[in-house]
Amino acid sequence: MIKRSYWLLIGLLFSFSTLIADSTLKKDACVSCHIEVDEENDDEDKIVSYYKSDLHVKLGFSCADCHGGDPEAYDDEDEAMWENDTFIGVIEKEEQLEVCGKCHSNPVFMRQYSTDIKVDQVTQYLTSGHGIALENGNENVAVCSSCHGVHGILPVDDPRAPVYAKNIPKTCSKCHSDETVMFESGLPTNQFTEYEMSVHGMALLDRGDIGAPACNDCHGNHGASPPYVSNVDQICGTCHSNNKDLFQKSHLNDIFLSKGLGQCEACHGNHDIAKPTDEFLNWADESTCKPCHEDSHPAKALALSFYQTIDSLKTGLEHARKMVEKAEHKGMIVSNLLFDLDDAKKALIHTRTNIHSFNKAFVDTGAAPGFQSIQAAIIGAKESLEEVEYRKKGLFIFSLIITFFVIAIGFKINEWKKQRESASN
Amino acid sequence: MSQTKRSEVKKERRSFLNTLLKTGLVAWVASVIYPVARFLIPPKMAELNVSSIEVGLISDFPKSSSKIVRFGRKPIIVIRKESGDFKALEATCTHLDCNVQFKSETEQIWCACHNGLYDIEGKNISGPPPKPLAQFKVDIAREKIIVSQMDLS
Amino acid sequence: MKIYEWINERVDISSIKKIALKKRVPIFYGTIWYYLGGVSLFLFMIQVFTGILLVLYYQPGAETAYESVKFIISRVEFGWLIREVHSWSANLFILFVFFHMFTVFFAKAYRKPREMTWISGMILLLLSLGFGFSGYLLPWNELAYFATKVGSDIAGAIPIIGDFALRLLRSGDEVSGATLTRFYGIHTALLPGIFTVMLGLHLILVQVQGMSVPPEIEKIPEKERKSIPFFPDFALQDAMAWLIVLNIIALLAVFFPWELGPKADPLASAPAGIRPEWYFMFMFQTLKYIPAHVLFIEGELFGILLFSIGGFIWFMVPFLDKKAHEGIRTPFWTWFGILLIIYMIVFTAWGYLT
Repeated sequence: MIKRSYWLLIGLLFSFSTLIADSTLKKDACVSCHIEVDEENDDEDKIVSYYKSDLHVKLGFSCADCHGGDPEAYDDEDEAMWENDTFIGVIEKEEQLEVCGKCHSNPVFMRQYSTDIKVDQVTQYLTSGHGIALENGNENVAVCSSCHGVHGILPVDDPRAPVYAKNIPKTCSKCHSDETVMFESGLPTNQFTEYEMSVHGMALLDRGDIGAPACNDCHGNHGASPPYVSNVDQICGTCHSNNKDLFQKSHLNDIFLSKGLGQCEACHGNHDIAKPTDEFLNWADESTCKPCHEDSHPAKALALSFYQTIDSLKTGLEHARKMVEKAEHKGMIVSNLLFDLDDAKKALIHTRTNIHSFNKAFVDTGAAPGFQSIQAAIIGAKESLEEVEYRKKGLFIFSLIITFFVIAIGFKINEWKKQRESASN
Repeated sequence: MSQTKRSEVKKERRSFLNTLLKTGLVAWVASVIYPVARFLIPPKMAELNVSSIEVGLISDFPKSSSKIVRFGRKPIIVIRKESGDFKALEATCTHLDCNVQFKSETEQIWCACHNGLYDIEGKNISGPPPKPLAQFKVDIAREKIIVSQMDLS
Repeated sequence: MKIYEWINERVDISSIKKIALKKRVPIFYGTIWYYLGGVSLFLFMIQVFTGILLVLYYQPGAETAYESVKFIISRVEFGWLIREVHSWSANLFILFVFFHMFTVFFAKAYRKPREMTWISGMILLLLSLGFGFSGYLLPWNELAYFATKVGSDIAGAIPIIGDFALRLLRSGDEVSGATLTRFYGIHTALLPGIFTVMLGLHLILVQVQGMSVPPEIEKIPEKERKSIPFFPDFALQDAMAWLIVLNIIALLAVFFPWELGPKADPLASAPAGIRPEWYFMFMFQTLKYIPAHVLFIEGELFGILLFSIGGFIWFMVPFLDKKAHEGIRTPFWTWFGILLIIYMIVFTAWGYLT
């Protein structure tokens, strides 16, 4: 039997718990009224329940801090809202920049909460595709709430936030894949579908690799706009720095720029970047050189020489791998040979990057260690297979000796038997 | 054939058979002793040790240089810092498994595949790598550099 | 023989020689079975020989065992051969021991006066299975680790002393490096010691009591029974058989090497299809299919009881099959043996086919 005093304690705790649950959300005039309003709304319009999880609530901001009005005016709708000078009510799209910017563009204010938080969001936004369109009267653009949410705003690194890395493509495509929304701007609506099937899309969305770029990594966040043609290599080069460096030094860089071709984009695409295949270098259907160059152009010979080098590495590697597997199958230990195969594979990846120099000598020098590793693996595998043959030979000799010896013993037994028989006769 | 001739032939056959028997015995014993004797002689490498390896002499490593060596089944990168101290880290990038390299100018470790960057302690500081590089213990014993697994304590 | 004379001048071994030369081997349709015991002995000697060679390079311990075995088969000259011979000979040893036991059973050689030979033989069988179980873990590879885990789990199901037995066997609660060390001691020191003593007893009994013949043959008067001397005739025939077995082992070592596989990782999940070595398979398969509860007894416990009682009956056969001494072949025991063999074969095969 639990003592009566314990029951009292439990009862008190229960009544407190309801308060504790909302203790971060001040139950001011706005909240106490709107909780009741919420009960008559659909789930998706329940403002207070959304706001409870908002980052601003945790920092002590009330509804009035954005919407204006008097949070102390309990049970008086007019005093709280309509008759109050500061009251904004529902914030229109254009008004958002001012309302959010009131705090978020104020470095002195923001420094209270974080010393390194950015305060340039509004400035950036005004330069963005969205910002410029909005200024020109196009209301079908994203503003702060379109991406960050309105009442349940979560920090960027919260996986539930619409602006968390993995969620960004879906958030952007909410508008950018919708033809009615994009009608006024005339922009295409196939980016998300293309991105989904791309190397980056599959890495981010299917494998969850947040190292892979989402829309904002190439287009920017608040200053979102398509990269300038002359800057594409810088954008891609943020991660693919080797390819960028090699390409910038190559003779193709200036030629592309002069022709208005977006460097990396010209061969690899932008949203639909597929995993490149070696067939890009072959002079056939998938060639990325043929669209510009005639068969008589030296580009053909160069592309084919690259293709040859890579193909030789591939076939060499495959051959070496098969031999190592054969040796392993026959019971030999091949762990050191696997290292050589690994080195060869790395050389192959290296070579595929090196072709961005469009320099035959450079590519061939880079591929040489790969061929060496392949040779080492093949020699090692051959040695293992030779050892197998050596063992078989040894077995053969041993079997001969035993057979010979056994037959000799057999004859000896026979001889003794005969001796005994003749002795007893 | 006479009686003596017959027994002589029999004696010859017997001694021939005995010779065959002796040869067979000797051959068999040799075919067993040979591999056993070779087995007993220890191979040049005393043991297959993957808990620690010797990567070379201090003199093999100029300051601000690095080398990738095999540690059991994994590649590791052994770095000699500007200060002269040694650092050993796993050489496989934690993003998509490329081999990392040492950048002596900034004393950082860089992955060429997607521009991932680690500091000299192996902590991932920029780019896609999600985790730091695993650490290895480095000991110096009489000019020799010995790399071994980190103690789990 | 100079050596014989040299020794005989110092220690009287002429009586031993007389007894040895008297030993004869009966010739009848079942003579071929007489080879089985000798081949088992030969295989044991191979195990001791190759085992000692392996011990010169093997390093017990969770961090070194696997690596040392890998070292032996890849770096040591003919290391692969010694290891493969040891592995194959171990399996053949158990196989031949089973053959030997069953031919002895059906020939009713266990009847008076040879009860002690049977009992010592049964103890040798248990020791051999112990050798197999303990030795299997020593390479510390994935398959062995999990087979040992599963196998030793059964020890825990013994009533009352189960937990204690498990801890004693595993040198701890889990299969770990400590288990490996314990098994190494059991395999290379404890079992060889006990086995040698038992084997000595078993062989002395056979030499002193002479070769047994089935009751049907015993009915034939001695003068009409054919036989050959053991020395030198049968001894040399034994040698021929041993050499052929050695050749077969060499063949198996070269063409069917045992895989080492990946190293044991106690933290990894068990791979699909773990099973014990083939000579435990029939028991493992039986335990798998016993229902969770039989009457009021837990399934696993029921299985253990079944095997213990069955084993005990088999052990005590010389004392239970009294009629055998009178030369009567009781159908019950014949069928017991036949059904036992069928059960073992079927369940072993079943275990491998699923």
